[in-house]
Amino acid sequence: MDPSHNLASERSSIESTYELTKYLEYQLKEIKDVYLTYLGPPFNEKDFSPPRPNSTALTLPSAATRLELWHGLENQARLAQNQRAYSILLAAVRELARSTLCPSLKTSLLHFCTGLDGLLGSISALMNSLGYSSPAQAAAGELQFPQRGTGSNRPAPLMSQSLKVEGFWILRELQSWLWRSAKDFNRLKKRLRASSLTRHRYY
Amino acid sequence: MSVIISICLLVYVQTADDQGYTTGEWNQYERRGSDVTMQCGSLESDASVSWKVNGTDIEAQHQLNGPKLILTQVDLDHNGLYSCFQNPHGERRDTIFLHIGIPPQEPKVTCRSNTYPKGFYCSWHLTHPTYIPSSFEVDVQHNQHSLYVQKDPVHKNRCHVQFPEVFSSSPYKVNVTAVNALGKASATLSFEESAIVKPDPPERVTASPIRLNPRRLEVSWHSPATWPDIDTFPLKYFLRYRPLIHDKWQHVELLDSTSHTITDAYAGKEYIIQIAAKDTEIGTWSDWSVAVHATPWIEDPLPITTTTEVDFPNGRLKPKSITFLLIATYLLLSLIKSTGKYHF
Repeated sequence: MDPSHNLASERSSIESTYELTKYLEYQLKEIKDVYLTYLGPPFNEKDFSPPRPNSTALTLPSAATRLELWHGLENQARLAQNQRAYSILLAAVRELARSTLCPSLKTSLLHFCTGLDGLLGSISALMNSLGYSSPAQAAAGELQFPQRGTGSNRPAPLMSQSLKVEGFWILRELQSWLWRSAKDFNRLKKRLRASSLTRHRYY
Repeated sequence: MSVIISICLLVYVQTADDQGYTTGEWNQYERRGSDVTMQCGSLESDASVSWKVNGTDIEAQHQLNGPKLILTQVDLDHNGLYSCFQNPHGERRDTIFLHIGIPPQEPKVTCRSNTYPKGFYCSWHLTHPTYIPSSFEVDVQHNQHSLYVQKDPVHKNRCHVQFPEVFSSSPYKVNVTAVNALGKASATLSFEESAIVKPDPPERVTASPIRLNPRRLEVSWHSPATWPDIDTFPLKYFLRYRPLIHDKWQHVELLDSTSHTITDAYAGKEYIIQIAAKDTEIGTWSDWSVAVHATPWIEDPLPITTTTEVDFPNGRLKPKSITFLLIATYLLLSLIKSTGKYHF
């Protein structure tokens, strides 16, 4: 296939993945407000931020990274980190949805999971088109987030503080990842453009 | 790590006179509205002293109690250099620089990152004056770690911090404590990395007419010089423009471009144009750039080479003359008609 056609297709794929992260970021803002209201005070208070749980039960992938490390990520590693993060976060949000008793919030969370699943699929397709191997799809898709402790299937006022903190941090970390992914895909687009210019010089 | 931004100096100097009495000089800070006691050196309680302020007699209401001078409900006009002299010989025993002030209130703190992802800066100020020197201690925490805070070389109440990482979910907590001789007060500002990102306005904005295009203006600009990595962290722009004589702005949002052609300008009208910038994902819009003015291209008017004239049997008449003639004719005819003497 014509290399320039490949490049155009890859860039289009990156662009649509980028657009999807922006859409999910917007959707998450609204769901997060509703969810924090559901958890009640102090979670719904402005600037409230509980300490991040250290427990092994909650191994959320952190979007935070040193700038020079993020800058220097190879394309495959960049995409693989995104893929791994969303696999774990998707399982976490599914569990959150399962344990939420408010029907409308449950529906919103499940709908959001569909979008997240779509994002995962988009990333996997992009990795394939770029010739990168990715972790076995089945294993990634079926990743089971540890079931939240007993008592999670309770109305929010009866939920334990630690479960509320977990829920808070799942959505907080997801928000950071969606923001980071937008930057990741922008960077990927630029790096591919730069490497395609190099490739064209030698064809 | 906290850093003391400025230091309030308390200077005490002690000297001895010929008779071996030691005299001192110090600053004394007292709260506005309070009663103040000044002690003359280490004289006995039955010592007799006299006091002067700034070399003159004390006019404000005061009491003397042995070596002590008591001022009641002090205010800013009690500020001054108070000296005490031991009676009967008048040897100077002490000099006290009295400063009246108030303890600091909670400082107002703001933080911003115009150099994302490099770092951010915080500024603070006291909303009410204290009238005496105040210093500030700044502490910045992130993920239970204290970050290094660097004082700004130019701005007095500003410091700089580098981001230890990017895309962090954990908030930053900035604590600023104002301290003076009468007390201290703190304020804490908590924020997420993404919330404080605000670039400086775009720079070197230019707007030019486009030859042969009476409704277009070409606008170009540069990203702010303070934004460190425009390739990896691109900015988007918001352009606004209006004719000078109108109040309503038109807006255009632009991604990935530092130029734009306005195509719907009113011909011949002078325009005012401004640009703002924002990170493509996070933060807030910059302030508007400096305004530039431009007028679209206007066709040069043709030079006038001939005047329009009319041939008359006896010579040529100019347009003004023709108009006058027509008006005069009309008036004459109207007059004749009104008299009824002639019928047409």
